[in-house]
Amino acid sequence: MKRLLIALVAASVLPAAAQFGGLGNLLNKGVETVKRVQEANKEFSTEDEIQLGNGITASVLGASKLHPDQNLQRYVNRVGKWVAMHSERAELPWSFGVIDTETINAFAMPGGTVIVSSGLVRQLASESELAGVLAHEIAHVVRKHQLSAIQSSMNSDILAGIGKEAAGQAIGRRGGDAFGLKSAAAGAGVEAAKNGLFLRPLDRGMEYDADRMAIVLAARSGYDPYGLVSVLQLLAQVKGDGGGASIFDTHPAAADRIGELEKSMPAIVDRLPAAMPQLEARFRQTVK
Amino acid sequence: MKTSLLAISLLVLALAAGAQEQAFTNRATDLKANPDGATVKALPENTAVKVLQRAGGWTRVDAGGQAGWVRVFHLRFPAVAESGSTSSGANALSGLGSALGFGRQKSQNTTIATTGIRGLSAEEMKNASPDAAALQKLQSYRADNAAAERFAREGKLNPQKVSYAEERR
Repeated sequence: MKRLLIALVAASVLPAAAQFGGLGNLLNKGVETVKRVQEANKEFSTEDEIQLGNGITASVLGASKLHPDQNLQRYVNRVGKWVAMHSERAELPWSFGVIDTETINAFAMPGGTVIVSSGLVRQLASESELAGVLAHEIAHVVRKHQLSAIQSSMNSDILAGIGKEAAGQAIGRRGGDAFGLKSAAAGAGVEAAKNGLFLRPLDRGMEYDADRMAIVLAARSGYDPYGLVSVLQLLAQVKGDGGGASIFDTHPAAADRIGELEKSMPAIVDRLPAAMPQLEARFRQTVK
Repeated sequence: MKTSLLAISLLVLALAAGAQEQAFTNRATDLKANPDGATVKALPENTAVKVLQRAGGWTRVDAGGQAGWVRVFHLRFPAVAESGSTSSGANALSGLGSALGFGRQKSQNTTIATTGIRGLSAEEMKNASPDAAALQKLQSYRADNAAAERFAREGKLNPQKVSYAEERR
């Protein structure tokens, strides 16, 4: 995590070196940037994180409609909430939404909103597979992976100003309030979405980390923990064409993820009951 | 640009009824009568099998007419381009169709867009205006703790105590 931050900060400092020359300047500038990023991290309250996520979610929903099936929406929320209740951030206002698109993908927003595409849901075979997918996204939120990536990429002046009135008004003028969203952080989320920040791939290590955690969260919730492995085997069969925002472009190859899980899963599942529910029938009642 | 993206990303799959998920052993392994049970026969690496069922760390397969269980991690699932006999569209698509068929619920014709088109490309995110009403609607579907607990009981989901592996080391 820290390494990613430092790498990004370092990258942002390079142009300064070209401009001013000299190692001293470069270092000063670097220290300054690191300080500002640290400041921004410190001031990001849970409420700000939730509002940032709301801004991003509202933008995503401006581009891609919610699936009209209310039973499906409620079903996915029950599965997701049950899994999230077994995480270290159970108290977040967890929301799950299915967007009406055949694109195969799932996204997690800071603050506890998870979006899955109907295209992905329809490819699944059981509730334990859905739980595995949602658990992976929940793990990203618990570890604040997206939040950190967005914080690293966004203009640190904007981020440092979140929660401060003056900057809040400035961001509000730039779109936040105009769309009925509550705070400067929500406005920053809108900005982040506009720049496609949430579509950018996370560090591979973060993805493997989220997979490992997903196995644990699914098992804690009482699901067959191999649901995610089964989904990854499904994804391995579908070849992305590298065109943009699909799961194939934003995640490491499914086969690599399966390989990582083969190493880490034995230690996780060793004391679990041999057979845990997949709830295939209940899944098929809702997902038609 | 946009139309060509759409064209290459929409894979229309005519799924053959009765087609089964195709997999291959990724190492020499054993076909078992039951999960962790007696060995029925030894399967060399790259044995073609059809997936019949999944249960925990085991997958029930048909290996050349003989059914049995193999470990989940001892199977690999080829991508479309590998399973199709040529790289031309039609064959690759029918390869995917059979690969995704039986054992997973499928409609007869499934359209899979494998890239983020229709609303979620970087370009379209830039032009999207936030939809606060849709956000509210999404949040109206939230489940509270009581609803989630009831749902779990109905599904006979029994919570387990599991720590993250790294905490145990």
